[in-house]
Amino acid sequence: MSDDVMRFFAAWMLTHEVADEELKAAVQRGSQQPRGGMMEGGPDAFVDGLAAMVAQQKEALKSELAAGTAAVPSADEQRVALEELRFEVAEMRGRIDEVHGTLETILAKLESAGPAKG
Amino acid sequence: MSARSRHIAAVFTRRWLAGAVRSGLGLTGAARRRAAFARQWRLAFAELGPAFIKLGQLISVRPDEFSREMVAEMAVMQDSVSPLPASVIRQVIAEEFGRTPEQLFASFDDEPIASASIAQVHGAVLAHEVRPVWGDVMSAGTQVVVKVVRPGAAAAVLGDMAEARRLLDGVRRLGMLKDVDLHALLDEFEDSVKRELDLRIEAHVADRFSFDFREDPKIEVPRVVWRATTARVLTMERMYGWRLTDLDDAAKEGIDGRALAIYGATAFMRQVMIHGRYHADLHPANLFVTPKDTIAYLDFGIVGHLTKTEREDIAQVLAGMVYRDAARALRYSERLGVHVPPEKVPVVTRELDELLDSMLGPEGPRDFRHFGLGFLSLLRRHGIEIPTGYGLLVKSLATVEGCARSLYPDIDIMDVARPFVTQLIGESMGRPELLQERIERAFRAAMRELVA
Repeated sequence: MSDDVMRFFAAWMLTHEVADEELKAAVQRGSQQPRGGMMEGGPDAFVDGLAAMVAQQKEALKSELAAGTAAVPSADEQRVALEELRFEVAEMRGRIDEVHGTLETILAKLESAGPAKG
Repeated sequence: MSARSRHIAAVFTRRWLAGAVRSGLGLTGAARRRAAFARQWRLAFAELGPAFIKLGQLISVRPDEFSREMVAEMAVMQDSVSPLPASVIRQVIAEEFGRTPEQLFASFDDEPIASASIAQVHGAVLAHEVRPVWGDVMSAGTQVVVKVVRPGAAAAVLGDMAEARRLLDGVRRLGMLKDVDLHALLDEFEDSVKRELDLRIEAHVADRFSFDFREDPKIEVPRVVWRATTARVLTMERMYGWRLTDLDDAAKEGIDGRALAIYGATAFMRQVMIHGRYHADLHPANLFVTPKDTIAYLDFGIVGHLTKTEREDIAQVLAGMVYRDAARALRYSERLGVHVPPEKVPVVTRELDELLDSMLGPEGPRDFRHFGLGFLSLLRRHGIEIPTGYGLLVKSLATVEGCARSLYPDIDIMDVARPFVTQLIGESMGRPELLQERIERAFRAAMRELVA
């Protein structure tokens, strides 16, 4: 392995290390934002807050992987889609109930008007 | 001129004269003069009936268009009118269903629960089991409310609206109003009233809210009885609890107002940021704190709708506020229809920055109302048009904050908003079209930093 390649990987490792430290610092700042404290921080505080939220997602993903449930999001999406479908069907049932009520109204009005004269 | 037109003109002339006398014939200070006239306008609106009462309510939620005094006066105007005799309500039910209330329900209460300009509400008991669109089955014997549109309300309101158009134009000429877009305002009013006149729209919205909050045990939405619902009659589950004005009684029963305030504000953020549908008519009369330590929403007459893109843009505006970034708030307001002319961008940005400074400083009010209304006022000062939906959302957020504060005075609504805002913006970062639009610029920016 030539020195150039070694230098390339060293630079890559250094970049990674610096970026990692920066990210960790951002996550820490974001996690420690006191109540209302981000308001003094300006736009950078938003980036810190976002980094902290991404870190939470990472921890959740790690837990899912450890528990073997990492595929759950797609199952969850299916559940949500099915729930939406159930609601649409239920809404249709509501409309049918309304139509049913209208038919009962017509029937009641016809009955109160008495038999039609032939 | 019709008899109605003459009556309206007479009422306004009398009230205008009263306003002139009470303001010392214009010799008092400007604020006192505006307050005196605003009070007379409110009394005139109350005297003239449903259309004007609804119009007054609409004015009360448009601080971006009307003077502070006018908004404050109209806000105290309760939509409460003398009840109609039960026989009139029974007649509407008979016309709608071909049956008497006793044939429809196990029992029907002739004494109204509430009587407003558009509708009157009575209690009743279900005779049969009902399966609602969403939620548990309602057994026979369940208490319900029957909301009935007042006969003639539609014709009266629509007829008076035509008069209102002419009248407001006259009011504007007298210089009583600021630079108001009357056409847009009355279109909005007409749309809102027409929606309220068809109670099936409210029923659909209630069902949708039930579904949106289906996994939330702390939020309750009344279930609709569709078989006993038409355009003029809405039957839904009766909710019991304390209004926000009766919280001392709730506290005696061990209700945790603080927790519910945070929960209620969070639920509203979910409506805006996640579902894109929000209750846009929240005020103490439309919200119950229940003995089950839950929040019950009532009256879904006015609902705001937001697309995914609008939600993301709103999140960015709120992020601009929460993270004290005036340029961001302005940039995304533009996408929501607030068009600031290029030559005014620097001065508007600077003034918005000052507003955020005054609000978020050590002694600042740190509330959304201050920001929202201050921002609308700033835009109006610079002659920048405010889209209707934008004004409605600002008002709704300010109202939610007000309701939450009546439960928990120290609540920080921006703290509640922060996770929703961050989450939504974070999610939007992964959108392919955004990546396509921004990735090249992001890469160039990175390269510029590296070679600097």
